[in-house]
Amino acid sequence: MEALVISHQKQIGDKMLEGLISGLFKIFTSNMMNIPLIEPLVDYLMQIPLVNLLVALILWRPFFAVIILPGLVGLLIYLLWIVYWERKLTARVQWRVGPIEVARPIRGAIQALADGIRYFFQEAIIHREAHKIYYIQLPILAFIPILLPLLFIPAGNVVGIKTPYGIQLIVAFIALIPLFIVAMGWASHSRFAYIGSLREAFMYFAYEIPFIIAVVAMIYVYGSGDPYVAVEKQNIPGAVLNPLAFIVYIIAMIMATSRLPFEIPEADQEIAFGPFVEYSGILFGLVMTLLYEKLYLMALLFVILFLGGWEGFYVGILGDFCAPLVLFIKTVVVISVLVIVRSVYARYRLDQAIRLGWTSYLTLSIAALILGMFVGVLV
Amino acid sequence: MEENIKFLRSGILAPIKKWGTHWSLWPVHLVTACCGAELAHAFASGYDGERIGALNYGIARQTNLIIVEGAITRKMARVLRITWEQMPDPKFVIIMGTCGLNGGVFWNSYHLVKPFEVVPVNYFIPGCPSTPEALLRGIRQLQNEIRTGEPRSSIEFEKVDLGKGKMMPVTPKSPKKISLAPSIVVNVPRKADEETKKLADEISKLGLATTVTGKNRIALRVEKDELVDAAKKLQNFGFDHVKNVNVIDVPNEDKFIVEYHLGSYSKRELMPVVLNLFTELPRSEPKLKSLAKIFPSADYMEREMHDFFGVVFEGNEWMGRKFLLAPDTPEYPLKKDFKLEEEKYLR
Ligand code: SF4
Repeated sequence: MEALVISHQKQIGDKMLEGLISGLFKIFTSNMMNIPLIEPLVDYLMQIPLVNLLVALILWRPFFAVIILPGLVGLLIYLLWIVYWERKLTARVQWRVGPIEVARPIRGAIQALADGIRYFFQEAIIHREAHKIYYIQLPILAFIPILLPLLFIPAGNVVGIKTPYGIQLIVAFIALIPLFIVAMGWASHSRFAYIGSLREAFMYFAYEIPFIIAVVAMIYVYGSGDPYVAVEKQNIPGAVLNPLAFIVYIIAMIMATSRLPFEIPEADQEIAFGPFVEYSGILFGLVMTLLYEKLYLMALLFVILFLGGWEGFYVGILGDFCAPLVLFIKTVVVISVLVIVRSVYARYRLDQAIRLGWTSYLTLSIAALILGMFVGVLV
Repeated sequence: MEENIKFLRSGILAPIKKWGTHWSLWPVHLVTACCGAELAHAFASGYDGERIGALNYGIARQTNLIIVEGAITRKMARVLRITWEQMPDPKFVIIMGTCGLNGGVFWNSYHLVKPFEVVPVNYFIPGCPSTPEALLRGIRQLQNEIRTGEPRSSIEFEKVDLGKGKMMPVTPKSPKKISLAPSIVVNVPRKADEETKKLADEISKLGLATTVTGKNRIALRVEKDELVDAAKKLQNFGFDHVKNVNVIDVPNEDKFIVEYHLGSYSKRELMPVVLNLFTELPRSEPKLKSLAKIFPSADYMEREMHDFFGVVFEGNEWMGRKFLLAPDTPEYPLKKDFKLEEEKYLR
């Protein structure tokens, strides 16, 4: 009797599992990427049980947007590229060759990978004065505001969550990142970290308001906070529709991600990387990439607002994959051009940067807003 | 914990770790002396150390290599140790220049330490200064060591037989003795212009014995008990500061000569004049009243002379402890009978 009950329960369990799998499968397949190039491969893999679930998951549009492109995998590729590119560019500006010996045939392009591996395996020191729990948590928690905006950044019909308030949400999450940096400085409990956090807080106010105003100006232009509407309306790119907002946004990108000439909170020659001074090993690897990731997010939004988003070339054979690819390429190109400021400018003093932020820069952003209102009526 | 470390060092992931570390040696450079210029050269456009993945970085916490450029003094030794201890494991040390090897041009000085007694050193790069090529070769050697696990030099030098060749007729003997040096006279009279002579006469009227030792240079000898009185008189005369305090050790006459060079910023005709107010002390009891109360600028220099010679300036508050020298410096390093390390000449 008992054996019967157990087997019966087991049967129910199996049934439930099966139901779950088939349910998930249905959800995934209902919204799958359509890429003609790999169609035969996908068709073949879909016949194998369990593997088909995995393939369906990867090709499920929300998953693809967040995890593959323009999401995490794209972010990783971008990181490896941009660190290398920045070093190489700086080297060329200074008449050097930059990293090359690590892989001669590809001009040392995997240098960032070597550095990353070194950080990964290095000892992570937690000094006695640190607020231990926060000190370890914060670099990891800081990924929340990095990852959340990826949910709302659409690329064609590949999107995590579709909402008419996408742009506002992305801006809101990006604005959270400095909080974590300030908190890291506080948790480090060291003098340089304290000065760095303070500077970060000051700079935050200097750029955040013009930045938000510039985005609002663009929302006026398009009449909606929906990225889809924004891209649709860009028969003429946003950069031409509102050039003032365009300039304000570029400066905001440089300021917000601590590039020279606004590399004030980190200023390694003065205050030894400010909030990040005590981090070592893998933890430093995490915090060092934080600002690069922020740059990535801001550049994605930049491309959507000003450069026509994922509208560009369309290759039929790539199908749905084309839009994320265009968006990604545009973003990386924008950033690659932007990082040249690092090697050609000197650093502003904190007071100079704040004065700039609160006077001419703020004025410019308000002018952009007014222009945006006019253009919004016309378009 | 031990197991984890062992796994890191020799486990399945070790080759990846080694590869990463080996292409990513970021030096913190500790510029203590002139070798720093060569390091700059090695990483500038001529040689470009970044080619091999070495990026100069300012902060110890996030790097894995220290390059010590040149001499490490006793005070700097602490900094070196702190920097090294801040670095996360695995970490390496490269020392540039002969200074760091064994003192180099500062061989046998009281203020130097040997860096290998402070931190474990991986590679020495000889040369004064070492060339950029040598430095980069050192970094490459370290990379090789990380990859293969065994330290090797990349050059085999020709062996030179030291036994051959001409012998020096006389090699310096040990232990060293103090030679009978000619007596040191500070106030040798010399010819000078009329104005200086007139000024010297005027000062003599205060009851002090002056000697003119050159244009605008006057020496004035006093007994050590009269020093303070003389200083007061000179202050009233118009001298307002001490330019320099100096001690000369004359062991074979068993005396210290203590000189105060006085000058004036406030009285026009005294401005070009340097007046050497000096006195002699027995070596066995080097005690003297301090002039720091009268001329405050003498204060620091008296402390320094106390550091170097052990002369006690009574009334100066810093006597009996080290002022500028590191606390562990041996006593009174500038005295002529200070014991140096004995060296042995082979030929
Ligand atoms: S080895 Fe020579 S060049 Fe280098 S620090 Fe010493 S004295 Fe200067």
